[in-house]
Amino acid sequence: MLYVKELYKSYEAGKNKYEVLKGVDFHVAQGEFVAVMGPSGSGKTTLLNCISCYIPFDKGNIKLGGMELAGMNEDDLAKVRNTKIGFVFQDFMLLDGLTIRENILVPRIVQGEVEAEAEKLADQLAAMFGISHILNKYPAEISGGEKQRAAVARSLINNPLIILADEPTGNLDSKSSRAVIETFNNAKEQMNATIFMVTHDSFAASFCDRVILLKDGTIYRQLEKWENRSVFHEQLLDAMKEH
Amino acid sequence: MNQIKNIRQMEQKLQRADRRQSRLYLFCNFMALMIISAYSALMLSPTVQRVFPEGGDSRKQMYMIFVMTLVGCVIFTIYALGLFFRHKAGQLGILMALGASRRRLAPGLFREVIVLSGISAVVGTIAGFPFVWMIWQIFRLILVDSSDMVLSFDFRCLFISLLFLLLVVGFACLTAWRYLKKTNIMEVIREEHINEPVKELGRWCGPVGLLLILAGAVLGYGAPVACDAWFFISVPEWVSILYAPVFVGLYMVMLHTVVYGWKSHKKNPYKNIISRSMMKFQGKQTVNNLLVITLLIAGGCFAIFYLPTNSISALLRYASQSYDYFYQYQADQAVPDRETVEALGKDYGLTFRDWNECEYITLGIGGLSKIYEEDDVRYHVEYVPMQGETRVLSEDAYRILTGQEVDVKPGTYLNITNQEESALYTNEAAREFTNMVTRKQIATTFAGYLHYDLLAKEIPCCILDNEDYAGISEGLTDEWRGQFVEFNVDGKDSYPFANAFYHLFVSSFDENCARPFYYDRVQKIRENEAGMEYWVDTDDMVTISYEFPDSFMFRQFWVYQPDFRILSQNDYLRNVAVLFMMFLFVFIVCMITALVVCYTRCQSIALNNRYIFDDLKKLGASPAFLDKEVRIQCSNVFKVPSLVGMFAMFFLFTMILYANDGRILKAEWAAMGVCLCIIALIGGVIYAVYRSTVKVIKGQLGV
Repeated sequence: MLYVKELYKSYEAGKNKYEVLKGVDFHVAQGEFVAVMGPSGSGKTTLLNCISCYIPFDKGNIKLGGMELAGMNEDDLAKVRNTKIGFVFQDFMLLDGLTIRENILVPRIVQGEVEAEAEKLADQLAAMFGISHILNKYPAEISGGEKQRAAVARSLINNPLIILADEPTGNLDSKSSRAVIETFNNAKEQMNATIFMVTHDSFAASFCDRVILLKDGTIYRQLEKWENRSVFHEQLLDAMKEH
Repeated sequence: MNQIKNIRQMEQKLQRADRRQSRLYLFCNFMALMIISAYSALMLSPTVQRVFPEGGDSRKQMYMIFVMTLVGCVIFTIYALGLFFRHKAGQLGILMALGASRRRLAPGLFREVIVLSGISAVVGTIAGFPFVWMIWQIFRLILVDSSDMVLSFDFRCLFISLLFLLLVVGFACLTAWRYLKKTNIMEVIREEHINEPVKELGRWCGPVGLLLILAGAVLGYGAPVACDAWFFISVPEWVSILYAPVFVGLYMVMLHTVVYGWKSHKKNPYKNIISRSMMKFQGKQTVNNLLVITLLIAGGCFAIFYLPTNSISALLRYASQSYDYFYQYQADQAVPDRETVEALGKDYGLTFRDWNECEYITLGIGGLSKIYEEDDVRYHVEYVPMQGETRVLSEDAYRILTGQEVDVKPGTYLNITNQEESALYTNEAAREFTNMVTRKQIATTFAGYLHYDLLAKEIPCCILDNEDYAGISEGLTDEWRGQFVEFNVDGKDSYPFANAFYHLFVSSFDENCARPFYYDRVQKIRENEAGMEYWVDTDDMVTISYEFPDSFMFRQFWVYQPDFRILSQNDYLRNVAVLFMMFLFVFIVCMITALVVCYTRCQSIALNNRYIFDDLKKLGASPAFLDKEVRIQCSNVFKVPSLVGMFAMFFLFTMILYANDGRILKAEWAAMGVCLCIIALIGGVIYAVYRSTVKVIKGQLGV
């Protein structure tokens, strides 16, 4: 599904050059729920932004659903973002001037005319994630947890190959965080969605099938969930303590 | 509820939701264009062009302030555009992140930007005309009305507005294109929250900035004077660059204001730390804005201070005039005689007393002149015989006119100056006087001053010994002879009489006397005899026409303009109306622009820091604390530029007044007092706007 090979990315600040990603290699299979964890500055968000085609990368390959992203032109990259990737951001990124239903439909609106089938799907997703009652409300009128569930619904509206989530629980309380993670689990189980999530939150990561641990721009360990969630959570905490 | 079906409908809905941001941008654009359009319409209006002498200082000042306003408006619109796009960037970024290609977003964005900028710019440009017309009519209605003040437009001014309009629309499109071209979508999304911290220089930068302002002002103003006095160099205009430290100093003062503030909190270093940090992290924009506001307020003060400094000395001079009526005329003119004037006075129920009249002659007088080298910069001072014309009275004539006994030794002369000895046109260097008809000369030396305000005018006036006077005046034609007349009204004076007499007086002169006071007949003869053309003959800076005896030009520049106290007092405002109205208008424009920039700056502080205020609320900050934080931020935007702008200009004016004659005269002290009152009034207005801005910002932040 997603192949990342020898990915390099650096930033320049004044005269200094900072290497953020130093040859990152991994892959994510169809229907897998993968988290990336690591301390601040380890390159988690940069990795996600490169996969999302939000920022250009220096070197390496990213293959999504068999398509090579490096070398694609702007229009093609936009198309990939629209049809192949669903996004969930830490601060929701809903458009304040649109209702929740319209926000969910934005990726479809961007494509062209919104058809009845899309509206029906939006309603189904809303029902699946328990936000049907707020469909006609505006973002300013709902809670953070509801906003994030709406964002997850939006990420699924085009039936993407993968959902990329950047700290989706970062701005939420524990109850809302749990609800959002369960939303991801629902998407995975009911729609066979592939989810790639960057997080600081070991509790949220413990719901994933696999966790990639990143430090100083390189992957130093990958943990797979063989046992139940709480054991996996303990393993995660131990692995992080070791480094 | 209508469901959005396509991107066009979505854009329309988002635009409706963003009305508040759009309104701010529309308002700023509209204001900038209206101000530019109104200013250029007024500046290029034939009404104003007639009154401001071509090449004169007042016209240069008018252009200078226009350039300053233009720069202010450019920065102001760019800033408003920046605010608009910072908000818009969030939306654009989200749409790009969700797969909208730049090609798909471009038409909607350009359409929105062009419609907003275009409409506001066109409406602003058009509104400039009724705006200036309305202000002008209010001036005419409330303050003064005169034939000079019939406002007409030269529609060439539209070119300036059109240029600015294209600049605004062009820059808006360029900014839109710049956002669309960004390859880093995260940068676009985060644009709204990007901080622009300012580089800290240390606590010394404020005091050093103040010193630089002072040094720049002294250097810029003093260097040309010093070059002239010590090195005999007439400095070129580029020497104005010596004022540059003023601007560097201003920047440093503003930087200090933003980074440290002007109050030290040694006992409690955490006091105001939040508001200070908020300002610091938007430092670049804030410092730039504070600079623009300072310059605009300084420009406004420059314009408004012009009024008292120019009017008070004139009004005091009229009030202290020793005779109600004083006039002079060339002997070959058929000016109404005493009987005619008394008969006219009777028609208005007036009788006259203290009637004095005496003869004077006009002679050529030698003096020191600057002789420029070929480079037109260096010069040396040389004595030039027949340097210019002077009016000369005998001892007897002076006694008749002033009642003062005087004894002038033969072969010497006395200069006449005013009581404060501030008259500019006196000559202490003359070695001889020349009869311009016979070319007979008498040798003279300067022997001192006499004081009589009515004779201390633009053309120097001297007293000779009776016998010297009789000798040198022999053979002079009437063209070089003249008469001084003065009298008082017995009882209360009448303006209608003064007006009627003035018109009768003016109409009695022929075309030979239709010349400005600086037209020097002696200099003309000297230059023509040397084969040169006299510069005033080819210069159309001022045209004196008897058809417009009430015009500003005529009353200001006519060589025989009489001093009728009641006429001067009553018509003063009317005579200088256009000049004053222009400066008043400039003041209004500068102040409005400055206040709008202050307001929008505070708006952007609210926009950029609303998350911090939300966090502070979550952390349990009391409403009083939040209120204080808002007030501190807004007060920094309003207070420091206002104080610096107003007092820098006050200091500059004081310096100019002092530099005129090395002291400050009574009238100038009074003018400075009025300027201080004006500062207090402006301060009051700024404070009122500050209060209402704080109220609006608090509303927006939910404080």
